[in-house]
Amino acid sequence: MSLETDLKDALRRVPAPEGFANRVLERVRSEERRPTRSPWWRAIAATVLLAAILGGWGAHEMIERRQERKGQRAREQVLLALRITGEKVAHAQRGVRHITR
Amino acid sequence: MSALLVEEGDDVLRRAQGGDGDAFAALVGDHESMVFSIAWHFFGDRNRGEEIAQDVFLQLYRNLAKIETRAHLVFWLRQVTSRRCIDEVRRTGPRRISIDDAGDLPVAPAVSDPLAARRLREMIAALPERQRIIVTLRYQEDLDPSDIGRMIGLPVNTIKSHLHRALLALRKKMGVES
Repeated sequence: MSLETDLKDALRRVPAPEGFANRVLERVRSEERRPTRSPWWRAIAATVLLAAILGGWGAHEMIERRQERKGQRAREQVLLALRITGEKVAHAQRGVRHITR
Repeated sequence: MSALLVEEGDDVLRRAQGGDGDAFAALVGDHESMVFSIAWHFFGDRNRGEEIAQDVFLQLYRNLAKIETRAHLVFWLRQVTSRRCIDEVRRTGPRRISIDDAGDLPVAPAVSDPLAARRLREMIAALPERQRIIVTLRYQEDLDPSDIGRMIGLPVNTIKSHLHRALLALRKKMGVES
């Protein structure tokens, strides 16, 4: 016999085990009995999730902006300090020039 | 199949889609042998074959509305069973079983040499998963390489090449054994 004929012989369809269909139907019934979450609850869960994401993003933005403002203020203070120092130095130079004349 | 049988089959399908439990049971009864045999030949393990076949029919129940005709149903069942078998092997890895664990067939098929057929089935169960499912669909379901390609989503030349390699491997093993 050729291999192809042997394969057809070896791979013939066989009956499913006794009671197979009943076991499938039992699984179908138990799936139907299982309570499913309604779309209403899914909508609420989605809203809560969205709120959490938006809230997190908002808080992050707020912290960023606060830090930006702090940085801006610090920069202004440094510039002011430099300006005051510059004026003091200029004033001192003028004083020195006046004495040496 | 006569036009009358096709019509009757489609009617059972429509009734199952309408929620008729008896009609769904009739669909399971009509196709359980095909689905179970594909899984059983693929794994060479009766328990695993039944587990997969049950999962396939449960999936069918959830997707009944998508089935258009009886021919579509047969295509869908073969496709889902094949993919489910391959996915299962990739998920859990090969499970080698001894001949004693394999379990006897409910009714042994009438073959010329049952022992040789059993040995051949063990050799098939040891092939790589793609070759295994292709050999099963080709010789159990008598499908052409083009049908198998559509079913498992591979080009026809790839199917032919897998089939060729599988037959070579089987011939080699049988040669070594004899």
